[in-house]
Amino acid sequence: MPGFRVIVIDDEKIVGQMIKVALEPDGYLVETFLNAEPAFARLRAEKFDIVITDLKMKGMDGMDVLRTIKTAYPEIKVIMVTAFASLDSAVEAMKSKVDGFFAKPVKIKELKECILKLLTPAEPGSA
Amino acid sequence: MVLAVQERKLRGAKKRGGVLNLRQIKIFHKIIAANLANILLIVVTGFLAYHSLETVLTKLKFMEIADSMGSDFLEMRLAEKNFFLYGEKAALSEIESKINATKKTIKRSRPDIVRAIGDPKTTGLESDLDNYSRTLKKARIGDTGAQAKVRAAGHKLMDFIIYNTSYERAEVHNILAGSAKGLFLSFVLILFTAVGVTLLLSVRVLGSLKRIEKAAHLISGGEFEKIEPESSMDECGIAVSALRSMAGELRNREEQMLEARKLASIGILIAGVSHEIGNPLNNISMLAQNFVELYDRMDREEHIEYVKKIEDETERIQRIVKDLLDFARPKKPDFKETDINGVIDKSMRLVQNMMSVCNIDSRLELEEPLPTVYIDEHQIQGVLVNLITNSIHASSPGDRLRVATRLNPDSDRVEIEVEDTGKGMAPEVLPHIFDPFFTTKGASGTGLGLFVSYGIIKNHKGEMRARSEVGTGTCFTIELPVHSRLERSEQCLVSGS
Repeated sequence: MPGFRVIVIDDEKIVGQMIKVALEPDGYLVETFLNAEPAFARLRAEKFDIVITDLKMKGMDGMDVLRTIKTAYPEIKVIMVTAFASLDSAVEAMKSKVDGFFAKPVKIKELKECILKLLTPAEPGSA
Repeated sequence: MVLAVQERKLRGAKKRGGVLNLRQIKIFHKIIAANLANILLIVVTGFLAYHSLETVLTKLKFMEIADSMGSDFLEMRLAEKNFFLYGEKAALSEIESKINATKKTIKRSRPDIVRAIGDPKTTGLESDLDNYSRTLKKARIGDTGAQAKVRAAGHKLMDFIIYNTSYERAEVHNILAGSAKGLFLSFVLILFTAVGVTLLLSVRVLGSLKRIEKAAHLISGGEFEKIEPESSMDECGIAVSALRSMAGELRNREEQMLEARKLASIGILIAGVSHEIGNPLNNISMLAQNFVELYDRMDREEHIEYVKKIEDETERIQRIVKDLLDFARPKKPDFKETDINGVIDKSMRLVQNMMSVCNIDSRLELEEPLPTVYIDEHQIQGVLVNLITNSIHASSPGDRLRVATRLNPDSDRVEIEVEDTGKGMAPEVLPHIFDPFFTTKGASGTGLGLFVSYGIIKNHKGEMRARSEVGTGTCFTIELPVHSRLERSEQCLVSGS
């Protein structure tokens, strides 16, 4: 999917690095951040298609990131990943219109499929 | 539990004693008893004084009657002389009328006379009077023998009056002198009893109030076990016992609360463990997935880099597990009488190399001499090394580290300060520093160091707190109680039980 722009926000450096390494061969342009504030600076500056964010982070957490994006940039898809997945956090994310929810450890193949599905325009007539 | 056992032993000892113990009598009863004793003394004194007064009055009345009879007797003797010398017949009738008047007086005042001089003497007087009357009637002018008998009977009457009057006067003097002495003695006795009882009660009540105050201070300081068992069973003793029992209850509640807090921290701990181990596991998983997926496209160096990262993440998990095990299975503390300045010296030696590498200046301000503390040296050394290491991590080359000790005489605790001039902590961070898995060091910290240290200090019945300002530095203060020999033996007993 050449040209699609992805932002990864996770305070674990390796997560950003691994998603970048996994997605870039497929033509995605990936930028990684350790916290949300500089990521929003980039979102304000340029157009991005998808944001992958960790749930539990210092400062602005994943739920804040999700709500802010869905309010300010409703066209951007948001995928949430967390090492502390609970039913409550999943339900809350769903209510805030999250597009994908992954519990760590993340299967990169499944993540890629999810991204692909989210960025592929729905065919006319399909549900 | 220990308090309850001591209390039972004390009560048992009291029951076995069986002898009336003043300390077991209530203050209310002591006051009543003291007042009753004083009232009894006053009543007895009053009764004795009244009795003395009555006696004096009786004797004075008798002396009045005796004076009157004495005058009559004198007149009788004068008339008797006139009769014998001049043969005045009228003198006889005058004597007769005086005798009758005296008899009437005796008859009228007999009870008073009897009370004063007794019945035999009164009867004797009446008999002497009759004798005089009879002797006089028989006497004739010129009959010297009869005249001598009349004079002798008259003398006897006068002697009776003179003797008894002076005797009763002396008696009145004696009674009044005795009463004065008695009254003075009673006054001294009442005063002594009142002052004695007041002093006794004051000392007892004030002593008990001081014990109550001391007990209250110990409770406010959380040192419940230091409250001494109360042997007295008066109101103050009961109050101290109630405070002691309340202290025991408070300690039980505190233990329950600590247990509840421990359970709550276990909950936080489990959530933390899930998150903290979940992250490196995810990193390992993602590294492994990409390693497999991209193996062919990577060169040898990249392969090594991936494997190295996986190794780093496993070490991270290992560190977390080790800290967790240290927390979950703490070694049994080995409390010993220890010089805290010595422990600080040893801790400083351990971190000296790290400080040299990081170019941190250190300064020790250790108060000498300091009382010993009763601690597990290795645990406290661990806490100190943890604090100093944290300070070094928060400092930049050229920053300073100060470790100080001093005795706080008010709290009877040794205070240890570990202060740095590092970057400091934000006010919103400070309340969480003792929470499990809270770290400002990112992936390099487990967030368990201060949490475990705090638990260790609490286990030493100490306190640990921090103050910090961004850009100025952080100061951790540890307070450890100074233990007396007795307390140490108690602690050994408790830790051994």
